Amino acid sequence: MDAPAIATEHLTRRFGQLVAVNDVNLRVAPGQFFGFLGPNGAGKSTTIKMLTGLLAPSSGRMEILGLDLVRQPVEVKRQIGVVPEGMALFGRLTGAEYLNFAARMYGLDRHTAAKRTAELLDFMQLDDQPKTLITDYSHGMQKKLALAAAVIHGPKILFLDEPFEGVDAIASGTLKAMLQRMIARGATIFLTSHVLEIVERLCSHVGIIHQGRLVARGSIEELGAGVQAHPTLDATRIPAGGKLTLEEIFLSIVGGSRLAEQELSWLG
Amino acid sequence: MARLDSGLALREQFVSVAELRWRIFVNSLRTLRGRLDLVSRIFAGIGYSMIGIGGAIGLGVAAWYIVSHKQLEWLVLPLWGILLYWQLFPVMATAFVETFDVQNFLRFPLSYRSYFLMRLVYGSLDPTTIVAVLWLAGLAAGISARMPRLLPWTLLVFCVFAAFNVCLSRAIFSWIERWLARRKSREILGLFFFLLLIGVQLISPLTNYYLRHHSRFSPFQFAPELEWGAVERVLPPGLAAAAVSRALRHDFGLAFGALALLSIYTILLLVVLHVRLLAQYRGESLSESPALARARTKNKQAVPAGWDLGGFSGPVAAIFEKEFHYLSRSGPMLFPLAMPVMILVILRLGLANARHSSSFLATHVGFAFPAAAAYTILVLGSFCYNCFGMEGAGVQFYYMSPVRFREVLLGKNLAQATVLLLEIVLVWIGVALLFYPPSVSITLATLFGGCFAVLVTFAVGDLMSLYAPKKIDWAAFGRQRGGAVTGFALLGVQAGTLGLVGVALLLAAWFHQAWVATVLLFVLATLALRGYTYALSRIDAVAIRRREDMIAELGRI
Repeated sequence: MDAPAIATEHLTRRFGQLVAVNDVNLRVAPGQFFGFLGPNGAGKSTTIKMLTGLLAPSSGRMEILGLDLVRQPVEVKRQIGVVPEGMALFGRLTGAEYLNFAARMYGLDRHTAAKRTAELLDFMQLDDQPKTLITDYSHGMQKKLALAAAVIHGPKILFLDEPFEGVDAIASGTLKAMLQRMIARGATIFLTSHVLEIVERLCSHVGIIHQGRLVARGSIEELGAGVQAHPTLDATRIPAGGKLTLEEIFLSIVGGSRLAEQELSWLG
Repeated sequence: MARLDSGLALREQFVSVAELRWRIFVNSLRTLRGRLDLVSRIFAGIGYSMIGIGGAIGLGVAAWYIVSHKQLEWLVLPLWGILLYWQLFPVMATAFVETFDVQNFLRFPLSYRSYFLMRLVYGSLDPTTIVAVLWLAGLAAGISARMPRLLPWTLLVFCVFAAFNVCLSRAIFSWIERWLARRKSREILGLFFFLLLIGVQLISPLTNYYLRHHSRFSPFQFAPELEWGAVERVLPPGLAAAAVSRALRHDFGLAFGALALLSIYTILLLVVLHVRLLAQYRGESLSESPALARARTKNKQAVPAGWDLGGFSGPVAAIFEKEFHYLSRSGPMLFPLAMPVMILVILRLGLANARHSSSFLATHVGFAFPAAAAYTILVLGSFCYNCFGMEGAGVQFYYMSPVRFREVLLGKNLAQATVLLLEIVLVWIGVALLFYPPSVSITLATLFGGCFAVLVTFAVGDLMSLYAPKKIDWAAFGRQRGGAVTGFALLGVQAGTLGLVGVALLLAAWFHQAWVATVLLFVLATLALRGYTYALSRIDAVAIRRREDMIAELGRI
């Protein structure tokens, strides 16, 4: 049996008294499009930062493609691509210079780097402003560029932290097309997003983190069945029978439906 | 629903903003940094109080003396001093002046009148204004002590003069902020300031040169009809002084005229400020992105292959190339490159003016190249202490990529060393042309001394870049290179290394053997190379340890 693409054991991160990620055990199989969901402050970004080497765990283990991230960070980073929340771009480079730079940092030779840069700029429709600096790009253009830089070396696993945030429909379409291609060639994608419709459409499996704990994990069908069967979940809005949407599953698990029903005195 | 434009709403908005500032101040005391900040503010406050009260007493006595001795033409001098302090101090000492951006409140239902007043009032509530007002009060007290009946008139004139200064400083700040908001105008403004700096340095040598070669030289010889007194009389300090002195001489017609002209200046400045603030209020967009929103054009260019540095890995070459792209697009970073050669020209002009000069360079011309090289390292070396400051949140990329930090810093240091070497070659050519060609032994000694100083700078600078990073924001006023810790480290290393190089050169001069310095500095350079490679070998562990602080500090918005 193949090693899981991503595996964590008792992964925990504390910030002083606050336990941001608490004893998370996660397994993502190779080739899965995995959506990692949770309310604000649940621990999504902290988890993805630990899995990409931007943050050290307080305790626990992390393995990427069978490699220990803490002991073999360079070997792991060669296999992964990351679009972090802040995109981590270099504003005073042009798009082509940045992609060229990123490719060479991932070990590609300079001719391959230039060739892939040209292809990606064309695919992302970023090749018509060759002299424009990244700092002058629109938000959507920057997101596309960040994704292009994350895939330029052909990673086996792609980590995306809120890739669709603040992106218009056209740029979003390009990003989705790129992600579908990555999945088609066997890559694993680990994505966090607040846009549940997109997660539902793209992801085959989902994990839900709440107050630092991984509270649900599986395919959307499995989670839906679990919500309908589990008596302790907040199921006030769950329709009897029929397929649940990811939003209904999510709200049931994290208790959001109760909050949505609360009334505000001044709104009536 | 309450009318938001009413006086009541305006008052409540003012009170809310004042409360907000108070809460921000109180909350800042929760952190050690905030408490240290409070201590430094207390000391600064004591300093400001002494300057304000002491200056007011001094100016009061001076004004009393001027009025008593009927030397009224001298009244203009303190007013010029006050104006220059009021306008220049906040620009030069931005690190010590607290800024509070009222523009953030535009998301609330603020009327334009409220916004304008808030910008004017909260923008002016700073120590500079308080000190300047104290000085004006001192002047008014001194004049009135001698001529009590003129107190109301003097107060009126000084109030208008104060209003003029407040409007001028607000107008300058708001327009500079506007120019700093865009990259291109920011670089033009940076070039303007740089030329201004160079121009100021050249005033003295050029004036001396003309005075020596043209005995009847006067700055006004190019415009003989222009007399400084005539110009000065129609400028605001001259007008304020004229309004008071004419009233003292019972020439009320001219006194009213001067005050009226000063008021017109103030109103004109209010209009200039109004134009800027109205644009802000209406929600101007200073983003440069919309220019890209046009349809895709066929403007494709082939992507060239990256640079190749024989003997170094691809990532090191990529970082080296990136550093040069960054440098070429960072106007403010480029200006210091011209400084060493400019200083040589200024020194040469200074020597040409002084026939029997006893200055160090006049008697030891052989030290021109080492001195200029040392100056180059002093100026450019300071950029090595905050290597990641310009990259901001981009530093995350290094942590995500499969590259060790020793390679990242090696690429950066190679780029810095290349710039320094090119600059020292330029300086050598400058010395050869302007003074005389440096001897081989002095050249070699300087190069070894430079290697020693630069390698120590790199070793300490790399560590400081990880331990005390600071995000550089060219769109903001203020010191950009690093914090106080970095400043002390920089001073210590530069004093230590250049001091040792100086000792070696002085020993060589003592023994009249330049090769003594060459050998000594070669040994020091070799030791520094060992130290640098050792520091580089330890840098990965430090980078990992400092990871979260680096990302938090440099990713700060």
